[in-house]
Amino acid sequence: MRWTYVLTRLLQMIPTLILAAVLVFILVRLLPGDPASAILGDRATPEIVERTRRELGLDQPLVVQFARFAGRLLQGDFGISTSLKVPVLRLIAERLPVTLFLTVYAAVLGALLAVPLAVLAAVRRNTWVDGVIRAVFQVGLSLPVFYIALQLLTLLGARLGWFPIGGYGETFGEHLYYLFLPALTLGFNLAAVLMRTLRASVIEVLTAEYVDFARAKGLRSRVIMTRHVLRNAMISTVTLLGLNIGALIGGAVITESVFAIPGVGRLMVDAIFGRDYPVIQGLTLMFAVLVSLVFLMTDLVHARLDPRAQHA
Amino acid sequence: MNRFARLTLALGAALTLGSSLAVTRGGTLVYGRYADSLFLDPVLNDANLDIWILTNLYDTLLQPSPDGRSVRPGLATRQVVSPDGKTMTLTLRPGIRFANGTPITAGDVKWSLDRARNPNNGAWNGSLASINSITAQGNTVVLNLKNPDPTLPAALATFNAAIMPQKLFTAAPGGTDAEKAKAFAEKPVGSGPFVLSEWKRGSYMVLKRNPYYWQRGEDGKALPYLDAVRFEIIPDDNTRILKLQAGELQGAEFIPLSRVAELRNNPRINMQLFPSTKVNNILMNNRPKLNSGAANPMSDVRVRQALNYATNKDALIQVVTYGTGKPMRSYMSATTPLFAAQPGYPYDVNRARQLLQAAGFGNGFEVTCLATSGSADDLALLTALQQMWGQVGVRLKIEQLDAATKTARYRANDFQMRTAAWTNDINDPSQITSYFAIYDNVESLHTGFKNAEVERLFAQSQAETSAINRASQYRRIQDIYMKAAPIVFLYETPYPVALAKNVRNFVQIPLGNNIFTATSLEK
Repeated sequence: MRWTYVLTRLLQMIPTLILAAVLVFILVRLLPGDPASAILGDRATPEIVERTRRELGLDQPLVVQFARFAGRLLQGDFGISTSLKVPVLRLIAERLPVTLFLTVYAAVLGALLAVPLAVLAAVRRNTWVDGVIRAVFQVGLSLPVFYIALQLLTLLGARLGWFPIGGYGETFGEHLYYLFLPALTLGFNLAAVLMRTLRASVIEVLTAEYVDFARAKGLRSRVIMTRHVLRNAMISTVTLLGLNIGALIGGAVITESVFAIPGVGRLMVDAIFGRDYPVIQGLTLMFAVLVSLVFLMTDLVHARLDPRAQHA
Repeated sequence: MNRFARLTLALGAALTLGSSLAVTRGGTLVYGRYADSLFLDPVLNDANLDIWILTNLYDTLLQPSPDGRSVRPGLATRQVVSPDGKTMTLTLRPGIRFANGTPITAGDVKWSLDRARNPNNGAWNGSLASINSITAQGNTVVLNLKNPDPTLPAALATFNAAIMPQKLFTAAPGGTDAEKAKAFAEKPVGSGPFVLSEWKRGSYMVLKRNPYYWQRGEDGKALPYLDAVRFEIIPDDNTRILKLQAGELQGAEFIPLSRVAELRNNPRINMQLFPSTKVNNILMNNRPKLNSGAANPMSDVRVRQALNYATNKDALIQVVTYGTGKPMRSYMSATTPLFAAQPGYPYDVNRARQLLQAAGFGNGFEVTCLATSGSADDLALLTALQQMWGQVGVRLKIEQLDAATKTARYRANDFQMRTAAWTNDINDPSQITSYFAIYDNVESLHTGFKNAEVERLFAQSQAETSAINRASQYRRIQDIYMKAAPIVFLYETPYPVALAKNVRNFVQIPLGNNIFTATSLEK
């Protein structure tokens, strides 16, 4: 039964999350500098820093601090941001949808770019069409994300005025419009990765015996492509897409800064610079949950495409 | 046809002239900030990101003047100091209200100042430490002082002395002052020109005009002219500039100095360089031994002076500030009250060599400077200094650290040199002096500099009632400090703000506060 598989996988996430919580708690405290100094800046006197450390509970032994953190966590409380003075959970709730929207949007755009072009390149392999498509994506793979972002902004945003420069918008339609350039930036990078694998798998499947058989049966080439070739070629691509969603959330950090998008990527950067322990801890746990869930979903889709995987 | 064209032109000119006399009311100004505010309480915060917004939301009894040199009336119209200097009587402006319409009472003033001077509250209570007690009656507030305090007018014009509505604040949920402040700061109500109407963290903040604001505009009606100011948070410098060029913003702060010249040439943009109190310098560890136990060449005043002589300030101003800076002539900026220009250290390699020789470092030495990683300015500055100091045998190593790590090392006095910048928060030289030159505060910015005469003069100046005496005390302090050279004196830099052409009367004062009170968007 599939649901027992899902349940087992979900239960397996618990030790991962506990490990993540302990690790991040220790790691952020190994960083030089502490929240009190970060809030108060260069100028504060030692007495004021000491008082602030006391107020934040940083004067307590690490074990006590961890017990408090863990105790609150079990009640679903991620603590209060030391710099922004608001609950971490509220910050995440405000920012996470933005990043998720951007990630999904980028994944969709990436797939929309990669799948047809990969198939075209595979079918026309070693012709000039194949050469051009591969060259474009090779370039996409080697250019840094922020560079692509700035070029898109300058050309399509500032010069042609087709898209707004940065921001997020208020409605669903506006989100689609405002996030088009950033999603395209991320999607292009993703497409470049997917393209290579997908093209190779399509070529491999095209030469497989069952495709020859299907052809011999007289099936139309579109049916062969969608029902037989793509379905099989997609297996490795879906796994790769799943693995890359994690990277996509990471890539959002840069994209969110360039495009002024209020997502969790930027929140994380600010929190690290501000040594905002509760925010760093909360976000790390949330990332851990997200990535685990994405991996789980990837496995489920994989299993759907390739029933052998379920028992593996 | 020709005559008709000329007539139209003349008419057009007359119309524009007419309309330029009358200021336009209304509109929303969209302003790009590089980062969002953190916490909007005037007493319990410290970051410039908050301070520079707070002054739009809250008002103080006195206000800093736009040129940063003096204070002028705010919520109080009059301040009278008794002949012995030990009481200050302030008269409140009649009919003043908070942004929700409730009148501002002398009780609110007393409560706000008592909260601001409470030693358990925030890092700023020291500025009001001379107050012994406050009495409020009718429309007057009397401050009874422990000692005469020449810095008090400037302190009353500083953000932490903002007047807040006592009833609203105490009604906010929470048991302690800090908890109430958290709740109140979500929806703060003050008596500044604007009131917070919407805040989406990390994205934008909208300030709407306060209909009860006391100041009047050119047209005799209440300020501000704008309906609202919308702050958009855009961390990337390039994106901020692109948005301004595309007309999505009417103002953008923190323009990189490298792009000032380009934007000045853009006919649709008004590139402004507002005078600031910002001084950029290199802090040196002056102690005889470093934390590692190694001997420290910079404990010798001749070495510190030599490094100052070996620094070509004019070249740095060209390379690092793209010609927008000017040499420091004191540890305080030229915009700080009681600034007294010093001869300083003109670029003189031979003099530097002689001094190093005399100090026993004829063959130079190696020194490490902490820099903020990712800061293009720090890197440009230090690579230029590597070359300049290399000529006198000083081998400069650069150690790049993120800001929090850099601060931690500095607090532990674990550094030889570090890049630094300072801006004043108060319209008086006492703040910067207490940090740069007074050991007991933060070990003179952790340089370890200590000078008995400076300490004595500073203590005197803090209770000096004669303006002339105070000025001469500060002249002497600046002279001693310059000669002792605990820091490498570099340059002052302005606040670069790019505005759309139709923005009138926006001011960033030398303290950094963004003033939108009389700003308007012309059609």
